Amino acid sequence: MYQMFLGGALRVKAAALAGGAWSKQWRRWAPVAVLVGLCIIIGLFNPNFFGGANFVRMLNTAAIPLVICMGVTFVILMGSIDLSAEGVIAICAVAASMLVANDFTGIAIGLFSVPAAILIGSLVGLLNGFIHVKFRIPSFMTTLGMGFAGIGLATAILGGVMVRISDSSFRDYLSLGRVFDIPAAVYIAGVAVIVAYVIQERTRIGRWVYAIGTDEATARNAGIPVDRTRIIVFGIAGAFYGLAGALSAAQIGRGHALISQDRLFTAITAIVVGGTALSGGVGSVLNSVIGVFIVIVLTNGMVLMGIEPYVQKGVQGLLIIAAVALALDRSRLDVVK
Amino acid sequence: MAAILKNTLNRRSVLKGAAGAAAVGAMGSSFPMPAIAEETTWTLANSLRSVANPYHATFAKGGEDFAKSIGAKYEVLVTEGNSEKGIADIKALLQRTGGKLILNVDPNDSPDARVIVEEVKKAGGFVVTQWNKPADLHPWDFDPNYVAHMSFDGVPTAEAIANELFKAFGGEGGIVALGGILSNVPAIERKLGLDNAIAKTNGKVELLDFQPADWNEQKAFEITQAWLTRFGDKVKGVFAANDGMGMGALEALRQNGLAGKVPVVGIDGIDAAVAAIEAGEFAGTVAWDPLWTGGMGLAIPYAHATGKIDITKEGHEHREFYGTGIIVTKETVGAFKNNPPKVDFNDLWGKATGQIQYRG
Repeated sequence: MYQMFLGGALRVKAAALAGGAWSKQWRRWAPVAVLVGLCIIIGLFNPNFFGGANFVRMLNTAAIPLVICMGVTFVILMGSIDLSAEGVIAICAVAASMLVANDFTGIAIGLFSVPAAILIGSLVGLLNGFIHVKFRIPSFMTTLGMGFAGIGLATAILGGVMVRISDSSFRDYLSLGRVFDIPAAVYIAGVAVIVAYVIQERTRIGRWVYAIGTDEATARNAGIPVDRTRIIVFGIAGAFYGLAGALSAAQIGRGHALISQDRLFTAITAIVVGGTALSGGVGSVLNSVIGVFIVIVLTNGMVLMGIEPYVQKGVQGLLIIAAVALALDRSRLDVVK
Repeated sequence: MAAILKNTLNRRSVLKGAAGAAAVGAMGSSFPMPAIAEETTWTLANSLRSVANPYHATFAKGGEDFAKSIGAKYEVLVTEGNSEKGIADIKALLQRTGGKLILNVDPNDSPDARVIVEEVKKAGGFVVTQWNKPADLHPWDFDPNYVAHMSFDGVPTAEAIANELFKAFGGEGGIVALGGILSNVPAIERKLGLDNAIAKTNGKVELLDFQPADWNEQKAFEITQAWLTRFGDKVKGVFAANDGMGMGALEALRQNGLAGKVPVVGIDGIDAAVAAIEAGEFAGTVAWDPLWTGGMGLAIPYAHATGKIDITKEGHEHREFYGTGIIVTKETVGAFKNNPPKVDFNDLWGKATGQIQYRG
């Protein structure tokens, strides 16, 4: 026990010596530097990039990915992975659109559909965690399966049709309405980020996530209720997906099973680019915020700079690898796989 | 999974309520129930990507309608975008039915069609393919088991709907265009049709930018937002190679207060697009009539199997043919909704519009 702690302490110490304090500071700020650098380059090509309207558009595009990333980040910090986001969002978006005034069901509970979606999301998340922990099935498989099941369930409920939302106040409060010319979805995403940051910094769960992600055996020996924490963290992630589901439904005014297509890959890319390690223990929800903006700015910039569609994906891929190379502090990782 | 999806269809048809049931009933009554028990020993099946998308859900419904009209067993096979699964399911069903299978398949990818046709021929069943097949694979080379191939010609359709878009903004100005996955045949055809339409305006309409959004609503949303920054009010219209992407573009316009001001066109004829046309936000879409392809892909081989026609004596224009896309615009949307395309299972080629062409 003692040796284990000592081992851990020595490893951190050695890394600090090898990397040096300056390098550590640089790594910390590297994602921000990447983001600023990208903005400057794109701005040089097309000055419209720095226009207020474009910033509002990018914030608006970033809102839903931000909410999703707040959930996935905790799971990744814990050293697990959550691939269920798309399925859970699909269920929650379909549920939310069926609970407000719509053309499919006779129910119309208005904004109460938002907490309902969050509740459904967190229940599915808790189920993810429960299956993963109690049946000892790797989170990769558990959440992958749950994601498929989610899309299957949404499909089964709708049978290929779409639910059209006719409740305009639902869409206004969650997406279209603007305060100081900034869309409602941006404020909601902002609140989600603050909530995630508070969970990370001010709660025991937040601290335990790091302990489990860094070294689960040590965390267990130190008396941290690892299993319970894991289940709760998957539940928290699900709650964020639930909110993302309601936001998605409000954004496009419809609910359908493929509403979150390709969202997951964007989210995981953003998290890694932001400097959170897939191996767990390293990173923060704030890193993910920067990561989301890197991905969004990149997509926006490609179109603004008029880069050929054939070249875009290649450029995107290279920049992502470069961003991770700069941002991720690999000196603290024992193994890279 | 397959079981759930199958149930869905039943559930959906129940939910869709009286209208659907009445239609099916009407169709059923116009068809004499088979007198000979032998006829019903054929199993009918439609194979498609996923009932999560409206096009394929309706395609599956078309097959169900026909099967009900003759009182046959009907199954829906779902590939979920996986060629291996698609082929394996078909093989299993051929095995289970002892080759007494009539199959209407939208192959997940073109090369799959050859494997599927060969398997069906070996087992003695009958097959019709939709949309995807290699250019050198022809029904008449696999007589009589490979009954027909059906498709829709993307080039003239895209050209027609692009012209509707130009009309909507006065025929002069810049447009932006969202394409499908770059390597998909429909995506290539629809881009070609758009290019033709633009060329014929003699420079009056300018293509400001073309971006593939991979048939994805969300990508279309993001790209359209960026276009508004790059081109601002130079964008007079948005062309989308399918309705899903068109809806993404429309919501991006709405976020910027431009819904209804900048017209959008799409292709597929999904309900949401038809509603957007009524609201004056979409300038048009093309409805593919999947109820017809879903049912007729079974009705033609069934007519051959029961001796009503001899498919080997039919001309090439009845073996490889295009269906009719219906252009829906502000002017025609009322008529389209009140009078949806009817399917007459006795009129086997009534909606065929010419033999399939192979371009370059």
